[in-house]
Amino acid sequence: MMINRKRMMWFSLLGVLCVSSLYFVFHNHALYEQTIGEVTSVTTLNQENTIDQYENEDTLYTQQLTLTLKNGAHQGQEVIAENGYSTSQANDYELKKGTELFVTMKEAKDGTQSATIDGVKRDKYLAIIIWMLLLMLIVVSKKQGVFAIVTLCTNAFILSYALDLYIANEQASLLFICSICILIFTIFSLLVVNGVNKKTAAAIIATLIGTAVSLAITFLVLKLTNEQGLYYEELQFLTRPYKTVFFAGLFLGALGAVMDVAITISSSLVTLYEEHPTISIKALTQSGLEIGKDIMGTMTNILFFAYISGSIPILILYFKNAGAFGYTLSINLSLEIVRALAGGIGIVVTIPVALYVTILFILKSKKVVK
Amino acid sequence: MNAIVVLALILFVLMFAIGGKKGIRSFIALFLNFIVVIVLLFFMNVPSLNPIVVTLIACIVISWINLFFINKINKKTQTAFVASIISTLVLVGVITFISQFALIQGFGEEETEELGAYSLYVGVDFMKIAISVIIMSTIGAITDAAIAISSPMQEMYSHQPTIDRKALFRFGMSIGRDIIGTSMNTLFFAFIGSYLALLIWFKDLHYSFGDIVNSKIFSGEVITICCSGLGVVLVIPITSWITAYYFTRKKVQ
Repeated sequence: MMINRKRMMWFSLLGVLCVSSLYFVFHNHALYEQTIGEVTSVTTLNQENTIDQYENEDTLYTQQLTLTLKNGAHQGQEVIAENGYSTSQANDYELKKGTELFVTMKEAKDGTQSATIDGVKRDKYLAIIIWMLLLMLIVVSKKQGVFAIVTLCTNAFILSYALDLYIANEQASLLFICSICILIFTIFSLLVVNGVNKKTAAAIIATLIGTAVSLAITFLVLKLTNEQGLYYEELQFLTRPYKTVFFAGLFLGALGAVMDVAITISSSLVTLYEEHPTISIKALTQSGLEIGKDIMGTMTNILFFAYISGSIPILILYFKNAGAFGYTLSINLSLEIVRALAGGIGIVVTIPVALYVTILFILKSKKVVK
Repeated sequence: MNAIVVLALILFVLMFAIGGKKGIRSFIALFLNFIVVIVLLFFMNVPSLNPIVVTLIACIVISWINLFFINKINKKTQTAFVASIISTLVLVGVITFISQFALIQGFGEEETEELGAYSLYVGVDFMKIAISVIIMSTIGAITDAAIAISSPMQEMYSHQPTIDRKALFRFGMSIGRDIIGTSMNTLFFAFIGSYLALLIWFKDLHYSFGDIVNSKIFSGEVITICCSGLGVVLVIPITSWITAYYFTRKKVQ
């Protein structure tokens, strides 16, 4: 009864939070300095078929929109705006009734107002998807779901703060800052997920060693091959040393996967040992290796798809612009492939490392018992 | 020597040294998946084909490779396969719903500067491609979670064949709860790793909080991360239920 009441309280608190935050993002226009207008009617003015120099066919449309202003001095007024878009919508969009837009107001000489579109107000959709994830997480995995959210948010804040530090200090080394971050992320995430115990300690040590070894391997390979086959073009919009940024990303990207491998192996070995205290070290090693074999394929695939997929739109754009196959792949995919391979190396290296560290911990606790 | 080739060789050697035959299969699977992505790209280039349908077919092939090729065809991989496909379909619905409103397709204004020389009117629907991208970034994590749940469920059932459907389902859910934190972590850091440059850039430009939240690139990233997380969460009850149903089905008849 008590537990039910407590749970009811949590759920109602969550409900109130969800509804009020959604209400807030749907009505926060006054907080924005930019003028916001909601599309209240749309008419298509004209459409025109185009063919570009590579014989791609597309259709260009011009829409005339009526916007109702939601904030600022002209709140409530209606203005006219125009929007052009194409069927492919690569850097434009078809606007529909109900969409809210950031606009800049213009006044013509005769005093009539019109608006030019600056962008779409997307904050409310972010709030919706974040709440969908949160609610599903809590419904499906309850306490663990809450822990997962807390860890992710904390890690995101730490990273954001660390990047601020990096931006603010000219002489700060990104790699050093990221190393500190990795130390904090690893210890914090594993502690929250698994609590203070042997498994966590072994997993933390294994994660740090695994990450360091895989980075050393990747670094050596890149140095020895003079980074042949790597194209940094996609990072050149940065005004900072982009190779360092790439390395820092390499560092961070594989960390989650390496932690996953380390904790899977250490916790199953410790559990196995606690259930069968007489089990031989050889048998423990054997089952640790079996688990490692089972997870390394799927884990490397997670990283592979998470990295590669983001490049699909740009690859298609290049191909459609008659980009040569090899050139297009190298320019847009080489860094992602290196990330995936380095992450894969991290995952595989961590398997034996986690195995030995965990067994060392088990042996040590055996001695203490004796 | 090409750095990518050397790294791939090292990965192959490590996988073989630690995983033996299964390690080699895992490496080949990675390579096959790469080929699937390339083939998918070719089909996406054809304007008359729907990119989402093509992506779903690619997901079936990828799940096939990840589950049946690495682990062989058996009961646990079959239920994991069905669960992966169903979760992907549900996820497509969610992603389609949100991206229609959020308009995150194509390239952000920050990126288009670099693309000045390219024709952007190429006749391919980038809205549908954006949906495909999110599905593709999650498919690895979905199949991973599915097999991670169905495999211990099969273990449990073989140790305790009298277990009823409800208990087996609950066991699957408890396994799922144990892996959810680390799976989300894996995805989170992978995305952070690849978006790090953009994050630094946003900070360099001194965007206000409102600018960042409403920008196409950032909201696209957040939607991708959330949808991937949603995929991993969805796959837990779906796999648990299908596996529990499949294993205890004979007794009911």
